[in-house]
Amino acid sequence: MALLERAEWYDIARATNWTPTYVTDSELFPDVMSGAQGVSAEKWEVYDEPYKTSYPEYVRVQREKDAGAYSVKAALERSRMFENADPGWLSILKSHYGAIALGEYAAMSAEARMARFGRAPGMRNMATFGMLDENRHAQLQLYFPHEHCPKDRQFDWAHKAYHSNEWGAIAARHAFDDLFLARSATDIAVMLTFAFETGFTNMQFLGLAADAAETGDFTFSSLISSIQTDESRHAQIGGPALQVLITNGRKAEAQKLVDMAIARAWRIFSLLTGPAMDYYTPLEHRKQSFKEFMQEWIVGQFERSLIDLGLDLPWYWDKMIAEFEYQHHAYHLGVWFWRPTVWWNPAAGMTPDCRDWLEEKYPGWNDTFGKCWDVIIDNLLAGKPELTLPETLPIVCNMNQLPICAIPGKGWNVQDYPLDYNGRSYHFNSEIDRWIFQQDPVRYRDHMTVVDRFLAGQIQPANLAGALLYMDLAPGEIGSDAHQYAWVEAYRNTPRNKRIA
Amino acid sequence: MTQAETLKPLKTWSHLAARRRKPSEYEIVSTNLHYSTDNPDAPFELDPNFPMAQWFKRYRNACPLKHGDWDAYRDPDEIVYRTYNMLQDGQETYVYGLFNQFSERGHDALLDRNWATSLARLYTPARYLFHALQMGSAYLAQIAPASTISNCAVYQSADALRWLTHTAYRTRELAKTFDDVGFGREERRIWEQDTVWQGFRKLIEMALVAWDWGECFTAMNLVVRPAIEEAVLRGLSEAGRHNGDTLLGMLCDAQLADAQRHRRWAGALVQMALGEDGNRAVLEGWVAKWQPLADTAIDAYGAALPEAPGLDVRARNAVREFHQSIGL
Repeated sequence: MALLERAEWYDIARATNWTPTYVTDSELFPDVMSGAQGVSAEKWEVYDEPYKTSYPEYVRVQREKDAGAYSVKAALERSRMFENADPGWLSILKSHYGAIALGEYAAMSAEARMARFGRAPGMRNMATFGMLDENRHAQLQLYFPHEHCPKDRQFDWAHKAYHSNEWGAIAARHAFDDLFLARSATDIAVMLTFAFETGFTNMQFLGLAADAAETGDFTFSSLISSIQTDESRHAQIGGPALQVLITNGRKAEAQKLVDMAIARAWRIFSLLTGPAMDYYTPLEHRKQSFKEFMQEWIVGQFERSLIDLGLDLPWYWDKMIAEFEYQHHAYHLGVWFWRPTVWWNPAAGMTPDCRDWLEEKYPGWNDTFGKCWDVIIDNLLAGKPELTLPETLPIVCNMNQLPICAIPGKGWNVQDYPLDYNGRSYHFNSEIDRWIFQQDPVRYRDHMTVVDRFLAGQIQPANLAGALLYMDLAPGEIGSDAHQYAWVEAYRNTPRNKRIA
Repeated sequence: MTQAETLKPLKTWSHLAARRRKPSEYEIVSTNLHYSTDNPDAPFELDPNFPMAQWFKRYRNACPLKHGDWDAYRDPDEIVYRTYNMLQDGQETYVYGLFNQFSERGHDALLDRNWATSLARLYTPARYLFHALQMGSAYLAQIAPASTISNCAVYQSADALRWLTHTAYRTRELAKTFDDVGFGREERRIWEQDTVWQGFRKLIEMALVAWDWGECFTAMNLVVRPAIEEAVLRGLSEAGRHNGDTLLGMLCDAQLADAQRHRRWAGALVQMALGEDGNRAVLEGWVAKWQPLADTAIDAYGAALPEAPGLDVRARNAVREFHQSIGL
């Protein structure tokens, strides 16, 4: 072979900064888009991406990866996975695709921001591949659910969710716009690639891939494993950017971005991944509890990468770890109760065996969340399902756009964290959510939660029917119990004291 | 819609279902993916007026180029991610096959020293220009009002990285044969100071800060890129063949195949825009604003190319023929 090795010419391909003279440097890299924190272009040039690839390698490897993912899909198209899967698993697919597909496309725009406004040439080149990756992830996660559209109208929400005012979609947009779509290139490197992708998407993708394989959905398992191989490459854009910031005396600024990003990512994952792992996945297919997963991936692994970079643990670390015990249980209870307002059918995950598992994984669960489910079960057994459906709206957090909720029953700790700012009262789910708002109120101040809109008269008629109309959810799409309450029968002849044995 | 009406499953996404035609894979995975265009008053699910929101309201939503439904735009090639990689993996196999064959034949050692000096001045500094194209397309990808437009810009940005990569490769390879003419060392100085590049540098620096999405598209895709393709790529291709550099000719021609694809999607977007009253004046106004800068750049570069007589005139004419071919 008479071809050069990549290492021989790689540095030339990333020596592309020049000094502009026909426009100023600050015009070419405006701060709102670059966010370089006052670190000069020359100082950014030491940026060295740990994972190196090049254009010819990229298109070859990605072609091969796609050939793999699409051929697994084609081979299993007649596998009757859809017909045979547990309804809880289908709900995971619906919530995942709806919450993720267009979010990936938004991440493509964020990668494009780094490709244009990043101050280091290596960062711009890596982000160009990252932009292509996210283009791939959006397309894959639209193409795969699309085949289910003729069987189930809820799969339409893989494309539709982000275009709607469904409350979960509002929460996802608020989180992802704040984490990356409406951020500068430097913020994106830190918040999207380092905090979100290194820390959290591992969990959604590796955790769900394991559950998918256990459940027998090999198409989904191979799809998201393939996606994760891209994520683990472009997630490495953030580390060297953090090194540049820290070396140049911007550790406090970098730390703040990391802290905000982890807090925001944690909330959205506790809504999306928590119920999927601890309730929707059939009991026999669960590999780990959500808490165990968080402890392994966030506390165990991600904590180490923070320290290795010279960062500190976020100030709220212990508070967040304490939330691993309860926050996603509270969201699950809320999502199941307000089930007509979601585009999937929440699986209660509430058989006696499931409850034993929950009590084992989360000691005290029966005395807290279990008490609420007891009431739901009693009402269903009494033939009064209408009492298990919502008539009102909850108080929604002005940061995470989710109901303000925590532990019910014994150990009640639900609390509003209020803030008055410029004459308006805001409400937050925790001290962490309120702290994020206080770091940059201009980003958030005139946003209205779905409940603010309701109270302002924007949602008519002012009842559940009006809310569903506003959320663009109609019968045929609205959620109901995934198993049509079949699980309740296990309690019919069981005395209450045996229920929590 | 009443509560009594129960929606039935559809064969495709609801936003595509009203049409009778079965959607292609391209339409399934490419259409209506920007949710930040849904509410013109608040691009993001955040404060409606914080600085980033104002940027998108000003440079995307308030663009003088108007259309009621930019999401109706379709790439005539219907490129999707997986077909892009198939296409370009094949193209790269071809190009690296060329690199391999020409290297085995000792191609560079047969080049004239004067020509090598010209390459160090007129060819290898182009990596800055190609990288600027990569950056410009990445901006269009994030600011375009429809995902079908953004996708074209994404692949176009990657194509520019492809050209940059070829150039970096050849820079290093040429330096092995000619280690004293500045390959791999002098490109930045030449790009920043040599008169031959200043027209293009001025053009691209100014086009990179054309923030309005319509002006960004017009400047970059209708003026800057065609000028670079006609003067630099075609000029180098032609001059290369007349200086015994067959490899450079074939390499530039391979890159021009990407450019042809870019012109197809750009032409389709212009055609769509011209269907609305008022857009012609906007587009022609921008072309009139940017073309003189491009002409200056073409003249400065073309005059310096050895063995390419009249290239400047031919390049300027070719850019105008492109404009005519797309209805401008």
